[in-house]
Amino acid sequence: MPIHEKTLIDPQLLVQSDKLVVDGIDVSGHWNTMILPRTMTEYDPDFYETIQAFPGGENVHRCWQCGSCTNSCTMYAINTDFNPRYWIYLINLGYKSELVKDKDIIWQCVSCNKCTNICPKDVRPEGVMKALAHWLEAEGHTPKSRSTLFDEEFTRQCIERGRIEDTEVMFNFFRQTGQNLGAMLKGGWLRLLIERMNNVHLLRQGKIGKFVARLPLVQGFKMGWAMVFKPRTRSWGRTGEVLREYVEEQKRAAHAGIGSPTH
Amino acid sequence: MNDAVLVVGAGPTGLSAAHGVASVGRRVVLVEKQDTLGGAPILSGYAKLVPSGEWAKDAIGRMVKRVEDSPLVEIHKGARVTKLGGDAGNFNATLSNGKTVSAGAVILGTGFTHFDAINKPEWGFGTYADVVTTTQVEQMVGAGKIACPSDGRTPERVCILLCVGSRDRQIGREWCSKICCTVSTNLAMEIKELSPETDVYIYYMDIRTFGLYEDKFYWKSQEEFKTKFVKARIAEVTMAPDGKRLLVKGEDTLVKRPIVIPFDLVVHAIGMDPNEDNPEIAKVFGVGLEKHGFIDRDEQYTSTFSSTRRGIYVGGAALAPEDIDTCISHGLAMAMRAVGEMAASRHQRAA
Repeated sequence: MPIHEKTLIDPQLLVQSDKLVVDGIDVSGHWNTMILPRTMTEYDPDFYETIQAFPGGENVHRCWQCGSCTNSCTMYAINTDFNPRYWIYLINLGYKSELVKDKDIIWQCVSCNKCTNICPKDVRPEGVMKALAHWLEAEGHTPKSRSTLFDEEFTRQCIERGRIEDTEVMFNFFRQTGQNLGAMLKGGWLRLLIERMNNVHLLRQGKIGKFVARLPLVQGFKMGWAMVFKPRTRSWGRTGEVLREYVEEQKRAAHAGIGSPTH
Repeated sequence: MNDAVLVVGAGPTGLSAAHGVASVGRRVVLVEKQDTLGGAPILSGYAKLVPSGEWAKDAIGRMVKRVEDSPLVEIHKGARVTKLGGDAGNFNATLSNGKTVSAGAVILGTGFTHFDAINKPEWGFGTYADVVTTTQVEQMVGAGKIACPSDGRTPERVCILLCVGSRDRQIGREWCSKICCTVSTNLAMEIKELSPETDVYIYYMDIRTFGLYEDKFYWKSQEEFKTKFVKARIAEVTMAPDGKRLLVKGEDTLVKRPIVIPFDLVVHAIGMDPNEDNPEIAKVFGVGLEKHGFIDRDEQYTSTFSSTRRGIYVGGAALAPEDIDTCISHGLAMAMRAVGEMAASRHQRAA
């Protein structure tokens, strides 16, 4: 019998076995493909509170499923699997396993905020998408995003020294995100950036004097100095320590009772 | 020409009509088939009314008292009209208690009958003790305790099934009963107030909390009382293998997947049927019924609240499913129609 509504079949529920005996009857061969039931048998009515604990998810419980968010969604126009309305429903009923299935597209929200503008119940779906992405990250379902890694490096330097060193932030960011610095220096945007900042076009035009005169030597020296000696801002003292404690405290308060590590 | 008005039915509609007629100094004969005045809110033991939040026995109790205290209202309890002769301006009614009544006009506030959930056997009412109706939950709220009838335990999880006996061609109920959505969201909040640990789920096709009931009941129950709304029309309710909990089966329309969810208590949000006495009422009063069996009415714009027979007015839940506030307005409007019509015919005679 042909299978109708094939799209509803979850590949994870397809089971094939070389040898299959059902009720004592050998059905190996042609009948060896079985589809496990897709019936939902439980809710998790408090799960939405977990999402609410992430910034942006506060209003998720207000949703009444009108679908305005999905209809207005920039991403939905490109990929109809990107469906904020659906994920909000899953959050409110606590269908976690279904949410995890979409972990590879949920983060694609471009934060255009059309959904938030159109939502009649002020759910702020854009915030929910962010909260959901952060939950997936906190639960280890998705790797840390590049922006999270950047924020972490930026914050680390702020707290340690009361200041950041741009070059160090970038170097560490490239390293943590697995970007090949050598390759980027050889070609691509980083090379272009350095060339333009240093007026390499003057060199190419043969205007060597002008080029040398405009080389940012002092800045270059400062940059190198800071990279090596990592100076702290004046009278930084215990400020970093206090800040770190405060941030940890705030995180603990925001995610109280979640039982999952936060980023 | 007789100046009295015969009011049939002493629910919110009839009580309001009786008061209206008496308030302009006309005599009223109020006939109620039950031994108690107040209609469904009192007879079925409703808890707090929508939208006032007042206990039914207090709110409707005041309406009853006002009518009972009026010297112009003659009340016949436990009585029915068995015969009605005469015409507009001059009706003669015979009551089941043997009395006869003369009246210039008749107001029918004969109301409705709760849908009997046994007519949807697949949803388990009458089969399982823990399948109850909204009326029963109203009574539980009135008694101050939410419990499973089977063993008295406090339910961890309750579901309310909307549209039981409404919007269902299969059983010839093609109408929306109008108030069940609001009543159910209100009950969800009351359940949560009495038992904060209980989770309440509402299975819906649409939510029709009309007018101001939208945010005061639907939104509030969802946003402040954690009521979960699941878009699913339930297929059947069965007993779980543990012999204790009930399994609610259906399709969650929004995730396109079958669901089988265990619940401790299943509540049917029962609709409003035409009064089961309507065929008899139609015969006795000579009024028509509309296609669903509610009492039919005449042209509404200039002959407001007229039945199909001149001099007989009909309003409230006798016309169609209706909420209490609207029934009260209908009652007053019918009083206006009745005394107005009688005054007009007196002027005519005088001229």
